[in-house]
Amino acid sequence: MPPKGKKTPKLEPGLPHPPKEAPTKVIYPRRSLPTLHPSTTPKLTGYVRTTPPGHNLTNTANYDSFTSYRSHPTRQYTHPIEGFHHILGNEDIRQVDSIPIGGRIPSIDGPYTTETMEYEEEEALKAELASRRCLFTDNTTSSTNAEDTSDGREYGSSKTSLDAPIGSLRDKWRLLPQFLSVRSLMRQHIDSYDHFVNVELRQIVQSPSACEIRSDYDPKFYLRYTDCWIGEPSIEEDSYSTTVQATPFQCRLRDCTYSAPIYVNVRYTRGRQIVVKKKVVIGRMPIMLRSSKCLLAGRNERELGAMKECPYDPGGYFIIKGVEKVILIQEQLSKNRVIIEEDAKTKCVSASITSSTRERKSKAYIFIKNGKLYLKHNTLAEDVPICVAMKAMGVESDLEFVQSVGSEPEVIDALALSLEEPVKLGIATQKQALRYIGNKMRAKSALNSGKGAASFGNYRKLSPEDEARDVFANVVLSHVPVVNFDFHAKTIYIGHIVRRLVMVQLGKSSLDDKDYYGNKRLELAGSLLSLLFEDLFKHFNSDLKKATDMVLSKPNRAQAFDVIKTIRPDSISYGMMSAISSGNWVLKRFRMDRAGVTQVLSRLSYISALGMMTRVNSQFEKTRKVSGPRSLQPSQWGMLCPADTPEGEACGLVKNLALLAHITTDEESEPIERLCRDLGVEDVSLLSGHEIHSRNAFLVLLNGIILGVHTRPHWLVKSLRSLRRKGQMGEFVSLYLHDGQKAVHIATDGGRVCRPLIIVNEKTSLPRLQQVHVEGLSLGTISIKDLLRQGVVEYVDVNEENNCLIAVTERELEVRRNAMKNDLKTGKTREWMAYTHLEIDPMTLLGVVAGLIPNPHHNQSPRNTYQSAMGKQAIGTVGINQYVRCDGLLYTMVYPHKPMVKTRSLDIINFDNIPAGQNACIAVMSYSGYDIEDAVVLNKASIDRGFGRCMVLKKTQASVRRYQNGTMDRTCGAPDPSAFPGGEQDPRYCRYRAVDKDGLCLVGELMENGTIIVNKESPADTATPVERLAQVSYKYSGMSYRSSAPSYVDRVMISSNENENFLIKVMLRQVRRPELGDKFASRHGQKGVCGLIVPQVDMPFNEMGFPPDLIMNPHGFPSRMTVGKLIELLVGKAGVFEGRQAYASAFGEEFGSTDTVQSAELGLIRNGLNYTGKDIFYSGVNGAPLDAYIFSGPVFYQKLKHMVLDKMHARSRGPRAVLTRQPTEGRSRDGGLRLGEMERDCLIAYGASNLIMERLMHSSDAFSASVCLTCGLLQYQNWCQYCRSGEKVTEMKLPYACKLLFQELQAMNVLPRLRLKDV
Amino acid sequence: MNTNTQTTGAPAGSGLPVMRGVEYRCGDCGARNMIKGGDPVRCRQCGFRILYKTRTKRLIQFEAR
Repeated sequence: MPPKGKKTPKLEPGLPHPPKEAPTKVIYPRRSLPTLHPSTTPKLTGYVRTTPPGHNLTNTANYDSFTSYRSHPTRQYTHPIEGFHHILGNEDIRQVDSIPIGGRIPSIDGPYTTETMEYEEEEALKAELASRRCLFTDNTTSSTNAEDTSDGREYGSSKTSLDAPIGSLRDKWRLLPQFLSVRSLMRQHIDSYDHFVNVELRQIVQSPSACEIRSDYDPKFYLRYTDCWIGEPSIEEDSYSTTVQATPFQCRLRDCTYSAPIYVNVRYTRGRQIVVKKKVVIGRMPIMLRSSKCLLAGRNERELGAMKECPYDPGGYFIIKGVEKVILIQEQLSKNRVIIEEDAKTKCVSASITSSTRERKSKAYIFIKNGKLYLKHNTLAEDVPICVAMKAMGVESDLEFVQSVGSEPEVIDALALSLEEPVKLGIATQKQALRYIGNKMRAKSALNSGKGAASFGNYRKLSPEDEARDVFANVVLSHVPVVNFDFHAKTIYIGHIVRRLVMVQLGKSSLDDKDYYGNKRLELAGSLLSLLFEDLFKHFNSDLKKATDMVLSKPNRAQAFDVIKTIRPDSISYGMMSAISSGNWVLKRFRMDRAGVTQVLSRLSYISALGMMTRVNSQFEKTRKVSGPRSLQPSQWGMLCPADTPEGEACGLVKNLALLAHITTDEESEPIERLCRDLGVEDVSLLSGHEIHSRNAFLVLLNGIILGVHTRPHWLVKSLRSLRRKGQMGEFVSLYLHDGQKAVHIATDGGRVCRPLIIVNEKTSLPRLQQVHVEGLSLGTISIKDLLRQGVVEYVDVNEENNCLIAVTERELEVRRNAMKNDLKTGKTREWMAYTHLEIDPMTLLGVVAGLIPNPHHNQSPRNTYQSAMGKQAIGTVGINQYVRCDGLLYTMVYPHKPMVKTRSLDIINFDNIPAGQNACIAVMSYSGYDIEDAVVLNKASIDRGFGRCMVLKKTQASVRRYQNGTMDRTCGAPDPSAFPGGEQDPRYCRYRAVDKDGLCLVGELMENGTIIVNKESPADTATPVERLAQVSYKYSGMSYRSSAPSYVDRVMISSNENENFLIKVMLRQVRRPELGDKFASRHGQKGVCGLIVPQVDMPFNEMGFPPDLIMNPHGFPSRMTVGKLIELLVGKAGVFEGRQAYASAFGEEFGSTDTVQSAELGLIRNGLNYTGKDIFYSGVNGAPLDAYIFSGPVFYQKLKHMVLDKMHARSRGPRAVLTRQPTEGRSRDGGLRLGEMERDCLIAYGASNLIMERLMHSSDAFSASVCLTCGLLQYQNWCQYCRSGEKVTEMKLPYACKLLFQELQAMNVLPRLRLKDV
Repeated sequence: MNTNTQTTGAPAGSGLPVMRGVEYRCGDCGARNMIKGGDPVRCRQCGFRILYKTRTKRLIQFEAR
């Protein structure tokens, strides 16, 4: 540890030095402040007006009084029930609320209220602080640390170190970047894929059901897989050559798949030999970027740069045929757990258990109907009374059954009716019960068709008893293992379920909440891929077996049969690729048929890509109007972002992970089981029901399966937790004591969401994290891993959170400590629930995208949701490699800024290096009337200087194909100008202006509407073989530029891949400056279009002569309540004058990661500005000062992708649809503008019949038809075929669509007749 | 305009018309490559399979707004 108490703060080069000598006295105000409200104006003697008292609450300057205020322990803490327990007692909140707004609260107000802090005094404090803080100046984790300390005064909060409570931690947030750098931002995807590739893949290949292939015809033949692994990513060029070490970037450009071969080692028989072959390719596996198998893993920035990869790109996606595909996180109800719910139809209490094992998935229900218990399962045609089921499993005595449920009198009463059932049915023995069930079996049970019956031989017909016994052993509740038909464990399990049901029925416990996040599992790329691979691998094996049988069934062979030669790796490769590229996961074995599992990674901006990687999709139907699954569950605290969800139909169903949320992968459970046994968990098979339900016994469940019973559950959980904290077992193992169920739940399964928390000493209420740790982290001497191992930090999942009391801030701990100290003095004893954990930082409850918002805790919450949606549409920087990428459509900003006001989350995602937006100096005022409805007024000079300027790159792709008959496309240069009548000036020839000799346009050329990009010709005949063709004739099949706005050719790339031997990609570039109607938004859900562009001379300007870049109408504020924006402006303005970026992290005022309004006000005053952020403005038109003071300053503005140029559309005449002859629809088809039903209604109401005629017929699809007056049918050319005369046939005009309708009606035997009258 | 070397009715199946070739730059090593029609798309120096077309020699006037 570096020496403490260094006097001079370390300075970063290039940053301003602190003032050498302290100013003699208060130096502000430099100029007189404008009078705001004459009545309330403070005298200009260095007094600062009090900020609203609510604000001071968060300021801990006057800590003692605050403590006393907060430490009225009015609430006793008991064991929490399910949910979250972060908020202190309600009483405390009420007290805060009861403070009159605007009034002075003597005990709470800080020192600023009575007298301004002297500048010297403040400097001294800050210097003191800086000397302590200098330790962190050379920190490597965050690029912004220098700003914190550069001039010895902490900018960021008005707090000083002396304000901090004793034993408090400075810079606790530094844990955050550490966590995220170790895990990287998209760790959950990558971890899960790594687990699949390194562990599960081998398990699948070596699983007993798949590792060996035998032939039905040759008993000596076998093929055994001995190992399986994944090689290095490569591209297969053709059957002879491969490009090894193919980079992901190459795959993107060449439209290849980023994949690696799957190798196996095999041992098999060839004739009479046993052959061992190593490194046999059985297929190709798409590689997730940045996973352990990816070339980019562990590369530094320089190496990544050499591979043309963006160092900030999070990875976690796949590249399939050049397209980046993400496997979205899928949310599901957890498997192998009992969920007690009320049946929607029958209104009876029912327990549903989805059992899922490697082999099979099935769902069982146990429910209460008319006071009787039944078992329901797919294989059973009819609901089986539970007692019959129990008897079938060998519980023949009623006493034994009742005891397995519980011996309390009310339980026995509840079971009475059920106990009568078998008697009524005449069932007393196991055999009778099995026969009863066997006869109720569905005709084709899963057993006789599946592998389960293999032990009996596939062909023998089973007796009903055996069949029933088999089903109960292997299918019903299949996750509880049954060995040698010993059903004891399963009966105990069923007894436990029945007990829970009965307890609910008796009203002693409540139904389970399906939306509770502890009951949810998130399925990631790894588990989805492993399901897919297992399926494909089994298919591959059965194909191989078929091929083997085919050969071996024939008796004579010239050569010994070699299986390896029959291996076709395509089926696995193709299966993996097509599943990821289409998003259709079809697995027949699990009856799984899901669409839309994958999506194309949106590369609109860096934020949109990040947002996509954290997206959680739930399986609920979107159209259903349900509120339960959509609403925010308290258990989602810290796991899912409360702000980031789309509006509309997917609202609340699509979620996003919070910043620190982690998703577990499957872990081995055997060591845990052994550990539990060592800690005294008694095996359930040795105990009777009576003992299991005795008063002190707690069930111990491991992943939903009953492990045993323990009499000292608190001790057990405590010891297991301490072992976990010491690193003796997996850090993600969850231990959860459920008092109501009298059960200890241990979970090692994958897909649980968890998050890291700081452990608090329960006795002393002191956090285990100490300043040493924080300093060590920032110096890089220790890492997060060490903290996990030392038991300073641990991962806690949703279920375990129920056993925790988590302090949000250290102040809560301080309050508790003081209260406990007081209790000790006064001798009072209270039953506290001790604090067990401390949040790392409350801002981590938001996700990555919502982390972009400055001061989100000051905004109305829907605004944060709106911004989360808009942040993904902001034009900015896609990645460092954006100009070498060849995306279909790429938006980039020409002069992006790093935001003046940033958050800690932005530092973590390196937003400053790849920003999306610009700091616009805005004035909140009305101007010109073109700013109504959120429209903004832009300064023309700002636009000229580059405000909102963006670049649009569009890809045009072509390929030169080879056809089956041997002909081929060709590209050719421009034709001879002499072939055109106008020569070189001929407009038709001018279209070839940009085309080079090889038919591809030249880089840098201007493209206008109609200019040819690729001059390609295709053979007219692609069917007749080329030998039979006298001459191959070609027709033009090139591509020309279609847009009203011109573009320049940015890049022309040629390449080839396994499917196409000549691939052309042309990138066309447009630079766009903002124009009327372009959409802009600040980071607070405040969007608006540009309503007017004003020359700078006409813009209002402030005292210093600065005109704003953008004028925003103040009407945008009152109803939206985006106070965060006001603070952003104020704090940003102070930052501009102080020369540093300001911070505005969520809930960060207490932690020094958010600038308070007060500190910003001080900063403004120091620089001679008004502390309210208002300036005097002068009219740009007449120079007169404006009547009001204008709130003005910098606000980070995003330009959104919706631009007028892409949307504007008009047409007079144009293309028509062939069938109806009506104008086409849509801008892309140059369609007409529809006069719809409602518009038509208006015209009818007004009586403008001629206008309707004109719009709906003459200007649309007028048609002149012949109509026979006698029969009223449409006829042709003055001759009625129906009446056989041409006398009464007349011409009339009607819409072609109308004529078409008549004919179509006639075609379906409906005869419309026209009755015509003279008008 | 270009001195055009288009050969209509080139031998069928050969694909691109016979020409001197056009200059391309390798996407990896930056070497110059003259690519004719029907040539494999591959850098002659390093074997890289992504090539970029060089910039036009013609004068381009930009509208700088």
